[in-house]
Amino acid sequence: MSLPSVNAPIGQTLPISVTINETAHSLDIEPRRSLADVIREDVGLTGTHLGCEHGVCGACTILVDGEPSRACLMLGVHADGAEITTIEGLAEPDGTKHPIQEAMKQAMSFQCAFCSPGFLMSTVALLRDNPNPTEAEIREELSGNLCRCTGYTSIVEGVETAVTLLGSSALGSTGDQATGGVA
Amino acid sequence: MTDTKDTQTSGLGFMGQRVQRVEDDRLLVGKGEFVADVLPEGVLHAAFLRSPFPHATINSINVTAAARLPGVHKVFTGAELNAITNPFLPMFMADGVYTPLYKCMSDEKVRHVGDLVALVVAESRYVAEDALELIEIDYTELTPVGTIDQALEPNREQLWEKADGNVLGNLSDSFGPVDQVFSRADHVITRTFECPRQTNQPMETRGTVVKVDKATGHLEIHNTSQAPHALKWALAAMLTDEGGIKNFGKFVRNADRRQAFTAAAKDFLSKNKESLKAQDNAGQVSQLKKDKSLLKHQGKMAMGLLASTDYPTVKAGDIGGAFGSKGPITREDVAVAAAAKKLGKSVQWIEDRVENLMDGGQAREEQFTISMAVDSDGTLRGMKVDFVLDQGAYPGFPISSLIIPLLWKLYMPGPYNIEAFELNGQIVATNKGRVVPYRGPWANETWLRERMLDVVARELNITPADLRAKNVMREGSMPDAFITGPTIDETMSVAKTFDRALEMIDFDQLEEDKAAAEAKGHRLGLGIASYHEAAPGPPNFFSSAQPGSDMLLSEDGRAEIQADGRIVMYTSQSPHGQSHETTYKQVAADEFGVPLEDVEIVWGDTDRTQFSFLGTGGSRGGPLGAGVMRMTARELRRQVTDVAADMLEAASSDIEIIDGNIHVAGVPAKGITYADVAAKVATDKRTTSGPVFTEQMQYDGVGNGGWSVATHVAWVDIDLETGLVEIPRYLVVEDCGPIINPGVVDGQIRGGVAQGVGAVFYERHHYDEQANLLSTTYMDYLVPTAMEIPHIDIEHMETLTDGENDARGTGEGGMIGAPAALTNAVSDALGVEVYEQYLPPYRILELAGVIDR
Amino acid sequence: MKNPPFNYHRPATVAEALDLLAKHGDDAKVLAGGQSLLPVMALRLGQPEHLIDISAIDELKAISVNDGVTIGAMVRHAEAEKSAEVKQHAPLVAAALPHVGHRAIRNRGTVVGSIAHADAAAEMPAVCLATEATMTIASTDGARTVAAADFFEGFFSTALAPHELLSHVHFPAANATTGTAVVEVSRRHGDYAMCGLACSIDAGGGTISSAALAFFGVAGTAVRVADAEASLIGKPPTADAFAAAADIVKATLDPSDDIHATAAYRKHIAATLTRRGLAEATSTIGVPA
Ligand SMILES: Cc1cc2nc3c(=O)[nH]c(=O)nc-3n(C[C@H](O)[C@H](O)[C@H](O)COP(=O)(O)OP(=O)(O)OC[C@H]3O[C@@H](n4cnc5c(N)ncnc54)[C@H](O)[C@@H]3O)c2cc1C
Ligand code: FES
Ligand code: FES
Repeated sequence: MSLPSVNAPIGQTLPISVTINETAHSLDIEPRRSLADVIREDVGLTGTHLGCEHGVCGACTILVDGEPSRACLMLGVHADGAEITTIEGLAEPDGTKHPIQEAMKQAMSFQCAFCSPGFLMSTVALLRDNPNPTEAEIREELSGNLCRCTGYTSIVEGVETAVTLLGSSALGSTGDQATGGVA
Repeated sequence: MTDTKDTQTSGLGFMGQRVQRVEDDRLLVGKGEFVADVLPEGVLHAAFLRSPFPHATINSINVTAAARLPGVHKVFTGAELNAITNPFLPMFMADGVYTPLYKCMSDEKVRHVGDLVALVVAESRYVAEDALELIEIDYTELTPVGTIDQALEPNREQLWEKADGNVLGNLSDSFGPVDQVFSRADHVITRTFECPRQTNQPMETRGTVVKVDKATGHLEIHNTSQAPHALKWALAAMLTDEGGIKNFGKFVRNADRRQAFTAAAKDFLSKNKESLKAQDNAGQVSQLKKDKSLLKHQGKMAMGLLASTDYPTVKAGDIGGAFGSKGPITREDVAVAAAAKKLGKSVQWIEDRVENLMDGGQAREEQFTISMAVDSDGTLRGMKVDFVLDQGAYPGFPISSLIIPLLWKLYMPGPYNIEAFELNGQIVATNKGRVVPYRGPWANETWLRERMLDVVARELNITPADLRAKNVMREGSMPDAFITGPTIDETMSVAKTFDRALEMIDFDQLEEDKAAAEAKGHRLGLGIASYHEAAPGPPNFFSSAQPGSDMLLSEDGRAEIQADGRIVMYTSQSPHGQSHETTYKQVAADEFGVPLEDVEIVWGDTDRTQFSFLGTGGSRGGPLGAGVMRMTARELRRQVTDVAADMLEAASSDIEIIDGNIHVAGVPAKGITYADVAAKVATDKRTTSGPVFTEQMQYDGVGNGGWSVATHVAWVDIDLETGLVEIPRYLVVEDCGPIINPGVVDGQIRGGVAQGVGAVFYERHHYDEQANLLSTTYMDYLVPTAMEIPHIDIEHMETLTDGENDARGTGEGGMIGAPAALTNAVSDALGVEVYEQYLPPYRILELAGVIDR
Repeated sequence: MKNPPFNYHRPATVAEALDLLAKHGDDAKVLAGGQSLLPVMALRLGQPEHLIDISAIDELKAISVNDGVTIGAMVRHAEAEKSAEVKQHAPLVAAALPHVGHRAIRNRGTVVGSIAHADAAAEMPAVCLATEATMTIASTDGARTVAAADFFEGFFSTALAPHELLSHVHFPAANATTGTAVVEVSRRHGDYAMCGLACSIDAGGGTISSAALAFFGVAGTAVRVADAEASLIGKPPTADAFAAAADIVKATLDPSDDIHATAAYRKHIAATLTRRGLAEATSTIGVPA
């Protein structure tokens, strides 16, 4: 989608339209605000966490047009016209957990779980693109997310459990669930 | 043995099961409430101006331009906040140690990069940071103290004017006939070791949100605190702004307050008679010799606490890890609370990662010289250790780094039979960030001892395994107490884990693997380390280090059954990843004989839970925290059973409770529920809401138990061309008694080992010689990823003892054993001794002789 | 750690972008993927008055094949990584991409941004040197081209003037007898390398006819070691030849110490990587992409 050119002097806000978890939002934001702050403070979805604000920890990872991105290293205005999925968008509206959330619970993947939004969103993309990853592939793909509590084994097991859950839920259903339910 | 196990898994038997975490139902769907998520309507945001210099005096500060910036509500200079707050006082004192007093801000002198100079409160954090750039400060730089060696120089610029140079404390103690043992042993082997600075680095930084009630001025503080009650009291004391006499007058005139105080004091004195008698005042005397102002401040704060009828409420919600770093009460906590109180407006401060690296908690920069007295046959006879601990600029509060050498004093000889031990050393101040407890704060005693055992073994031409096997304390011949004082139960023997670990190592295979590695230009090595850990130790553990300290350490808990039958358990713990909600439900549900979801666990809110000085820390959550849950639940079940027996017209001893059905044994069809019993009592008491059963208890653990023991074995594979290290296998054999939830225990162990892997191969908090911080971002302080941490095998032993709730802590051990096992493995692989803990690839190749230093 | 204030511009065309650059030049910064610039700004180490966000300029989003591959300024690392054209015509670029940060970083960061940023430890500048890429630089004065060898001037500094935009980078086609490899040693997976090598070797007919060795992480910019390359010419691609080149590399490079590695260590791994990189590159000769 092409965007028109815009200019916003210091202090002036810009209107943007963004779809977050399938809900359309029209926001007026100061261009310097990070997308993470916009999602957390302006939209009120605090499930996306900030661990470093310089792109290393991965806690802020969200899906922007389906691709995992650091919400701390994007401006809110970058989301203009985009479709965003955050941790809050994974479960069904009735509260049923997404198979990856369920798998991570079963595997007891997390402790403080501050890192979990980033791992979950990275895993959604990983299993969509590679539904049957090897342990090495899982470790490599998740190496952009830091966890200080677990030593990672339980998280890798969580992804492996998710492969099983997604595999069984995909049987007899459309490809939608096989992609983690996130377009 | 089996009997004991049965009493520990009553009811539905959740104990010991891998019960999935109830926490995950909110945390994994983005519904946790972490401190940064607390954004009350109209909240203002705070940012600190921090010193760019390690050591400087402040000549002037000009905040005019910053204060004028649109969106800024107030710029507080250090002096302004200091004027309305009281200083941090030493709580923990020891003979020979001086602890400097300090205020929440630095108004005359800065002592480390990141020291607090001014505070901006603005409509957003963005604007607050804009304002920081407009504050003008004139500094005069002073000579910095960047290293331990510099701190020991006699004429170096001093951080604290009342200290002796930059030495804050001298400690020494000895046990057994040291001189005799050292003069008679066949060999005395001496080496020097050093460990560089590390930092805890939880993924969530610190934060505090101070809500101010417009009508009453009451403060409700949401904070990442491991110890919310300690924070509440500290803030109540430090925000006291009226004089002592005035407050004393207020107190005297308030009869209710006076009566309540007298009752509480009497209760405290009678409960702690022994501990109070045991206390010695040598620490207080040492402190007063250096700084008499302690008494004046203590007096003022004590009077403030007496007079005040409105203490802050502290709430700790979901916390994103801490590893010790969120236990201490920090200057930011006080400054932000004082600012919010002064403005009468709610204020949020969330530490950013750069701030966290500067002063969110640092650890383990320690040097040691160790001598071991040993006979030619490998019999260990004695040990002497000299240490220097670099505590950074400001002492931790309420527990300073002094705790570390006091714990070394108890632990250092480890699980080996020796006749004599001596520890001498110094705590020094440098221009660096604060030292805090970091997962097994004393862990370097294990690293030092276990590394040294390998050195000694090679000197004597014995294998490291044989040397340990010869000297490790074994069941059957174990003393009742360590040479350093604490008692030990012989069922908690390290030897068992050590023997099992040896069984699990295939030494023939190891030789083959070593040869295969060598053939491709690699080196393979194996390292072993054993330790015991007071988790939390027997009740006499801490008082062996600091007489009388045990009175602050019991664990309180409360159980209630509400009029509608709901079971609510109140813990004084403040969990931050350890899954307390799940494990406490398991324990309580078993006692009550109900499903997990029938139990609610309340934590973290000082208005609802009982006082606890430590909160979550010191490996107490499993043994003491769960212990007091079990005790109170059991007592309430007894009371409920009595009422139910009346209702069912049976004897109490015939009542059984299964899955919430309270019935006469064998007649489940005619059962009643907790709700029925509660309703009956409520009717009798003529109430309709609130608790109808309440039981509050204290628990200190029992007997000589409380020891967790473990042996770690690490295999490392080193590429001599790159210095990169892989860990093909890592094994932990551990015994923490009966396991409440193996999923939780495994996670704690693996997480601890991962931090140990980090400490050895990736993590070093770098300051240069001028005390400038070099690792200021996550590009420089390297927390390992899933690619660096290996799979970790765990073998559980689960030895049961006779005690009630004999679960022992397991949160710290991983980090205690790993650095020792890993450095021993590197040493074995390279065939050289390793005397430092941090081994990045370049250092590996230097040690291997591949490149020049 | 919040961005300082700036005047924000999001032009829709290159022409608009160049006008803005001409107007604000010294006080402006181009914002491409933001994966290097935004952290610098959040740390308040850089505070441009004007930020010219080129992410909406469709003209800059193309990868085109023309005796090699031309990559536009808004092609993200991940897009180049997925591109069959890049794999086929610019194999060294393809080999480098998986080493750049992590997937989430590659989803936003751009290939050209990485080149303009000119981090001495980054992969892409070394790839430019090894492949002898050509930079197309646009401004209201018109377009000019600069050879990679003249583009990287020093630590984070390039031939770009403040009012200029690096609009495209052209990577010349590799011939069929050329093998390529990117090898590096970093502290953690995904980190900037302590030392890395982008190399190519043409060994058609069993002797080496050309070789390129471009190192990163060992000097203020990526560097080629001409003597080591020359030492390979005319020799068969054997371990001995590679080891001799490695010795020259070790003797030539003059890296410095930092908290992650000493100079001696960097020299040692540069030599190691020379041997490993050349062997790996040789093994890719003739293997279809
Ligand atoms: C955690 C992390 C790890 C990383 N690891 C690596 C790594 O291992 N290797 C690596 O190479 N990189 C790494 N990066 C950086 C990443 O590759 C960036 O994408 C890249 O360096 C810059 O590209 P960008 O599009 O994001 O540029 P931006 O951040 O938008 O800009 C960077 C600089 O280049 C200038 N600029 C950008 N485009 C142009 C243009 N077309 N014309 C003129 N000037 C321009 C900008 O003004 C700015 O000064 C990492 C980043 C992070 C956050
Ligand atoms: S907060 Fe975005 S990567 Fe750490
Ligand atoms: S679970 Fe605590 S950081 Fe990952």
